[in-house]
Amino acid sequence: MRNTHINFLYRFLRVFLLIAVLAGIQCDENNRSGRDALLYWSANNPDEIHFAREMVKNWNESDPKIQVVHQPVPEGRSSEEIILAAVVGKTTPDIYSNMWQGDVEAYAQANVLIPLDTITGFLNFMTARCDSETIAEVTSLDGHIYQVPWKINPIMLLYNENIFENIGFQDPPDTYSDFLEAAARIQKDSDGDGYIDRWIGYCEVLVVWYQRFFDFYPLYLAASGGGSLVKGSEVKFNNEYAVEVFRFLKTLYEKRYLPRERLSARSDAFLAGVIATRFAGPWEIAHAEKFKPEGFKYSFQSMPVPDEQEGPVYTYGDPKNIVIFNTCKDPARAWRFIRFMIEKENDLKFLEITSQIPRRRNLFHDEFFRNFFQQNPKMIPFALQAEHVKGTDQSPVLKEIFDIISQEYEACVIYGTKSPETAIADAARAVELILP
Amino acid sequence: MARKYVHLTPYFLVMPYIVHFFVFIAFPVLFSFFLMFHKWNIISPMEFIGLHNFYRLINDRLFFRSIFNTLIFLVIHVPLQIVVALFFAEILNQKIRLRGFFRAAFFLPVIVSGVVVTMLWEQLYGFDTGLLNRMLVSVGLPKVGWLIRPELAMPSIAIMATWKNVGLYIVLFLVGLQSVPPQYYEAADLEGANRWQKFFYITLPGINPTVLMVLILSTIGGFSLFIEPYIMTGGGPLNSTLSAVLYIYKQGFFYYHMGYAATLGFCFAIIILLVIALQKRFIERESGN
Amino acid sequence: MIRRAIFYLFLLMGALLFMYPFLWMLSASLAPETELGDLVLLPSEITLQSYSQVIDKIPIGRAFLNSLIVSLSIVAGVLVFGSMVGYALSRLRFKGRQLLFFIIIFTMTLPFQITLIPQYILMVEFGWVDTYLALIIPYLMNALAIIMFRQYFMSIPQDLIDAARIDGCNELQILFRILWPNSIPALLTVGIITFMASWNEVLWPLIVIRNEDLMTMPQLVTLFAVGGRAESQLGAKLASATMLALPIVIAYIFFQRYFIQSMATSGMKE
Repeated sequence: MRNTHINFLYRFLRVFLLIAVLAGIQCDENNRSGRDALLYWSANNPDEIHFAREMVKNWNESDPKIQVVHQPVPEGRSSEEIILAAVVGKTTPDIYSNMWQGDVEAYAQANVLIPLDTITGFLNFMTARCDSETIAEVTSLDGHIYQVPWKINPIMLLYNENIFENIGFQDPPDTYSDFLEAAARIQKDSDGDGYIDRWIGYCEVLVVWYQRFFDFYPLYLAASGGGSLVKGSEVKFNNEYAVEVFRFLKTLYEKRYLPRERLSARSDAFLAGVIATRFAGPWEIAHAEKFKPEGFKYSFQSMPVPDEQEGPVYTYGDPKNIVIFNTCKDPARAWRFIRFMIEKENDLKFLEITSQIPRRRNLFHDEFFRNFFQQNPKMIPFALQAEHVKGTDQSPVLKEIFDIISQEYEACVIYGTKSPETAIADAARAVELILP
Repeated sequence: MARKYVHLTPYFLVMPYIVHFFVFIAFPVLFSFFLMFHKWNIISPMEFIGLHNFYRLINDRLFFRSIFNTLIFLVIHVPLQIVVALFFAEILNQKIRLRGFFRAAFFLPVIVSGVVVTMLWEQLYGFDTGLLNRMLVSVGLPKVGWLIRPELAMPSIAIMATWKNVGLYIVLFLVGLQSVPPQYYEAADLEGANRWQKFFYITLPGINPTVLMVLILSTIGGFSLFIEPYIMTGGGPLNSTLSAVLYIYKQGFFYYHMGYAATLGFCFAIIILLVIALQKRFIERESGN
Repeated sequence: MIRRAIFYLFLLMGALLFMYPFLWMLSASLAPETELGDLVLLPSEITLQSYSQVIDKIPIGRAFLNSLIVSLSIVAGVLVFGSMVGYALSRLRFKGRQLLFFIIIFTMTLPFQITLIPQYILMVEFGWVDTYLALIIPYLMNALAIIMFRQYFMSIPQDLIDAARIDGCNELQILFRILWPNSIPALLTVGIITFMASWNEVLWPLIVIRNEDLMTMPQLVTLFAVGGRAESQLGAKLASATMLALPIVIAYIFFQRYFIQSMATSGMKE
């Protein structure tokens, strides 16, 4: 009796070790493939994988001398963390096309990226593709350029057309007072239990730095005409625009126009008609088409701005860029592949396959892309908005900056324990301390 | 007992442990001491900054906040845990039917992952649709912002943690209760002692070691609070649920401030050891009386 | 009689308090997404839609396998190494035994917060980030298991060991052929606690594993619940939570007595 127990355990251990060894071997094989070819990592969503495969296939057929191997960035928590792990382990690919602009400065300062402006022909190509504003935005603090601006997903005001019709708004609100007016009319207690159950919108109430890309930051860019948060070692957001944005959002929470409870723990509140708007990007289109109820109508428009504001309305573009890592043996060759991938025909293909906006000048008015937008009218607002987007400022401590702003945001905007003026001043002081 | 011929075998047997100890415990403790004087984000070279991390720590509002939060958690969670567990253990210690079933039911949350428990309670605590608020409304009471109000969020998490762990402590107390000699109760019955007197003069002193153990176990548990606020509140509202471990995690793995995170870890470790030593002394002095 | 009934009703309500959330989770994960607003137990129809969504979106099957591989390796390691050290400490005399025992007790009082960051850096330096090694190796030793084995082995009669020695067994044979078969309760206890602890561990995997194919179940479900992958579908989140809870609950139903006993004894020894 006892011996069978033990025998069983031994047998079990042996089988188990075998499995473990096999699993180890399998992992090893995954890492080995195509040593001489250029290794290209794309984002890992199905659309971008599709696009990258097609690009690599076309390229490899046209130029047999430079072969490219494509692999989606290993699936994981966030691609940012995967890249960090790869940098630490020196297993970075040659080319990576989903680099968040806000991370570039830190990597550039750690010397793991190739300064692209040292490659012949790069600057000419850039001035042809992008306007000077964009080029200035992606230039690092040391004057080099380490990234190719590639694609953006501008944050806009997504709204439920049915609700706005019901409250008698022809157009969705585009100024703060309009927005507050609409918010008052939308706010409702439909089941009469004494609690509000319909709001104009929802902003994530968890304090995580990147949530500010969906509320404070695009509103700040809209109010300030694309202003900076920091420039080098100087704080730039200590101004009336930031204060205005805080005051606007604070009023929304004070009057209970925005809920303080976490709606994100429930079913989709926008599609359920519980909230009438959301600050979001073009990815919402695919989501809405998949899950929307019968008769649900929605549309996009630029971010609301302070009442007396004039001129173009900016927003955050959530730019993802292409970089070459210093583990690449032949950057000039890598650059040739990148140039191929972002030429006009391929930008169109990218738009068609992924519904993300290529960051090139004059996109909407270019005859070449017209056909696409006629067929996909929901994308038009984004193409128009693309002319007025900003990414992030170049700073190695960007996350901390957004974290500090988030802390003040929560105290002032959501819980109203501080005035907007003090909150912004406090944030500015705290950021000053960490700037290099 | 003496077996002269075994000279090397014992060392062979304990070798894996010794290697493991040096690599995963001794070295990390020394290395964390070393890291405390450095600034390091893993991708750039390490930079010696002297005592700057400590300077930053004593000026860090969030460091003190996270200690304060942990203490709030302990002050609610530990007594509640002990009272509730003792209460149910007392009941289950009587002759009742289906004792096994009840014990198993109370124990269920103990074995399930904290991730699952937290996801469930997030639904229970929901402001609009949460079960708790529905029950309050149905008896005519106002809704409560369990996780929204800064002063309530940590107590809410403490109640959830009590719910999750109380089964374990019920079982521990049951073991403790059974070790109290029944003659004592018989003697007390002869003296005409009532229920409460028996509880305070016989049961409580009898299970003193168990109380101490429960105290220490739930204190250690409280200091490792992480996944609950990570999923439910992210440390908010207004940092009221930022726990010590969550704060280390944020500094280390959101912002890659490895030196500062190591400093935090070191200081928290010292505080934990202090608190436990204090608890131990307190209980031992109490039981000495 | 009535007092008795009230007493049982009260107990039953207590038990329900601890089981209801799980029952609700199960039923909600089987309900259509539109009915999730209600917290009642019986949905109008039963659908596996939420489960198929989870399976489509995250490699939950792979994560189950990962969790199993990791937890079982750790259990195997802790049993083998723990009993080896426990045996040496309880039955053999050697120089430094007292010191070793002291060190082991000391490591039990050492808060993990202090070693968390350096251990992560070790994983980075060893190149173990995103491998099973990072999940398994640091957990192969466990002070509590060693102490429990030591306690248990001390209660085993010396004659048994002496007889084996006369038969010519070496120390390893004595341990695995003689002591193990006589220590099934200790092995079960240590095995169950270790398995539960590693199955439910989430902080360490969050730190050392970024590659989705290597994530353990609790990690994957946490990231699914916290991140955007669930596409705001509550049913899918609850389905993923159910899948995470199910294996351990099933094990619990079968080995309930052992689970409770193990946890009780482990608590007593600490």
